[in-house]
Amino acid sequence: MKTRKLRILWVLLTVVFFILPASQVLAEKTIVLGCPLSTAFLYGWDAERGFKLAVDEINAKGGVNVGGTKQMFKVEVIDTRDLEPGVPVSEALLAVEKLILDKKADFIMGGPVRSEAALAAMPLLSKYKKISILTTGVLTPAYSATVAKEYDKYKYCFRIHGEAKNLVGEMFANFSELKEKYQFNNLFIIAQDVSHARGAAKVMETVATKKGWNVTGVEIFPTGATDFSMALLKAKKTQTEIINIWMDMPESAILLKQWYEMKIPALPFGSTLAAAEQPGFWEATDGKGEYTLCNVVNAGNAPSNATPWTMKFYDAYTKKWGVEPEGLGTSSSYMAVYVLRDAIERAGSLDPDKVISELEKTDLMGVYGRLRFDPKSHQVIPSIDPKEGAVGSILQWQDGKRIVVYPKSIATGTIQLPPWMKK
Amino acid sequence: MEILVYGTINSVMLALYALGFAMVYGVSRLPNFAHGALYVLSGFITWSFLNSLGLNYLLSIVLAILATGIIGALIYQFVLIRVRGMEISEIMASYAIGLAILEGLRYGGFKGMTYTLPAFISGSTEIAGVPVDYQRVLVVVIGIAVVALLWLFTRYTRIGLALRGMAQDERAAMMLGIDSDLMAVTAMGFGSMLAALAAILVLPLGNIVVESGYNILILAIAVCVVGGLGSWMGAVLAAFLIGFAQILTVVYLGSHFQMVVALLAIILTLIIKPSGLFGRQKELEERV
Repeated sequence: MKTRKLRILWVLLTVVFFILPASQVLAEKTIVLGCPLSTAFLYGWDAERGFKLAVDEINAKGGVNVGGTKQMFKVEVIDTRDLEPGVPVSEALLAVEKLILDKKADFIMGGPVRSEAALAAMPLLSKYKKISILTTGVLTPAYSATVAKEYDKYKYCFRIHGEAKNLVGEMFANFSELKEKYQFNNLFIIAQDVSHARGAAKVMETVATKKGWNVTGVEIFPTGATDFSMALLKAKKTQTEIINIWMDMPESAILLKQWYEMKIPALPFGSTLAAAEQPGFWEATDGKGEYTLCNVVNAGNAPSNATPWTMKFYDAYTKKWGVEPEGLGTSSSYMAVYVLRDAIERAGSLDPDKVISELEKTDLMGVYGRLRFDPKSHQVIPSIDPKEGAVGSILQWQDGKRIVVYPKSIATGTIQLPPWMKK
Repeated sequence: MEILVYGTINSVMLALYALGFAMVYGVSRLPNFAHGALYVLSGFITWSFLNSLGLNYLLSIVLAILATGIIGALIYQFVLIRVRGMEISEIMASYAIGLAILEGLRYGGFKGMTYTLPAFISGSTEIAGVPVDYQRVLVVVIGIAVVALLWLFTRYTRIGLALRGMAQDERAAMMLGIDSDLMAVTAMGFGSMLAALAAILVLPLGNIVVESGYNILILAIAVCVVGGLGSWMGAVLAAFLIGFAQILTVVYLGSHFQMVVALLAIILTLIIKPSGLFGRQKELEERV
């Protein structure tokens, strides 16, 4: 009896003196990545999956070495709903603040996803001195320009994926090629009525005119629009050869189906064309999405051999989630975790100033090329060569597959025209 | 010519969105704010029958329409009947149900852009030189047929006449032995089936997304407010007014004003003639 009591006492003492403090230590050794994402949308859930894959891989290898002690990453996601029509920006700001105050996020990763919300969140990040790495959505050049303009205030803000300026450049590289090959000269622009798309449409129009293109029309559709017939007919009437689409709303699938059914003799060339980015697009449109081109911002979001890591990531993602990398925020979200780990380990601390300094020195060969940040604007440095910088990726749907057609350094095919366009 | 063709298509679609809402309100004076959610739900039900259970497309459609009708009737029978006559509570309760359906679908994994229904007929034709796909032609044909059948149903069948009686004067109808609650639950069932029919016709043009539930509700309300709450034929006329106004706006003002048209129509109607084109609500106040 006495022995039994002693045993119980021993167990209790063990719990009090060893297990409880140990769990306390373990609890302290977690680096919380707060992810404000619009999780009901592609650009939200693809980022979440990218983060979780990277975190699982890193934690499985022992975590992050912070000044000699190993710490684990932990992902905390809050739905910002900022990609949903009619949801005010303040919702996204509340989500960011909740991640910082309630979830005790050490870093903010991913979003907010909509440009308007991300710009509005910048002062908040500055107030709480929280480093943020944008990985999805947000294409507005205003983000990096704001960092460059007021560095001391907004030095906490980084973006690891391409911005609209890069996307425009990549598109024109293709347009020029099409102009040369098929003598295309007429461009029609269709955009969604949201900040980045409106801005991009304006830039596209200006640049196209300067480059000698005949801009046959610019149509801005409100989020949730369900009929695009008049714009498509206008494009047809004006003998447009390329329809440039900036639209991430689900209804863009209607636009592409209408284009196919109406046999509009113009190539749909999109950016942030979420509907066409997903691997399920082919089945969803019953093959009517064939020939659609879209810019998926960075390599790794479609199959290619940009770097030795690209297909490793692609396969790991497919294995873990049962679906291929889907949207434009997938590879960038995955890489952001590795880049952050790299910076923390070099800094040997979670101190924001030290980590910022190390993030600025980042030079890592990742899934979509060499990753470095511009030290002034904190924008990832783009390139068309993965050895030099972050490469973009433009794909075309061909025979049920997503074929990368740009940049040439990683392309797996060339642009094809629909049969009703061939002269 | 394209304004005429696509104006008609757009108008018929709006009429389809609104008919169910107008029927429920007309008979039971219940603003069914779950209408948009039932529209989306029926799309996902059809999709599930077709893809998860592997049923035939036509059978999936029929079952989905029936299932949506039953769900609508159950919503009335178990929830809305308790708040009937209390306008604010009716709106809040039906909106809450709609919200629960839509967010429940999202929570259940129905998100993304890959949920689609196949078109009934693939391909396109030209109407007076304007290219139109067969599905849209079908939407117009079936839409007109639905309006015609609804007209016949409410004039030549016992249930239809009872529904009309209720819509015209509930107390008089009750005095004639018409069961008010039974008619209200029937109207809710039929209204939900009409929402499902609209979904099954229109959704193959794009994809099934939760967010469209909110848009459909706004469009249905706009059409019914302009046409006169409770007036089925008013809703059809208003659908054509708003439908053509939207297309004309796209052509002459710019596509980004397209969504403003419906909301502006609500505001203008409420300022100029709150009872709408054919509505009786508040008519006395207007006259006074």
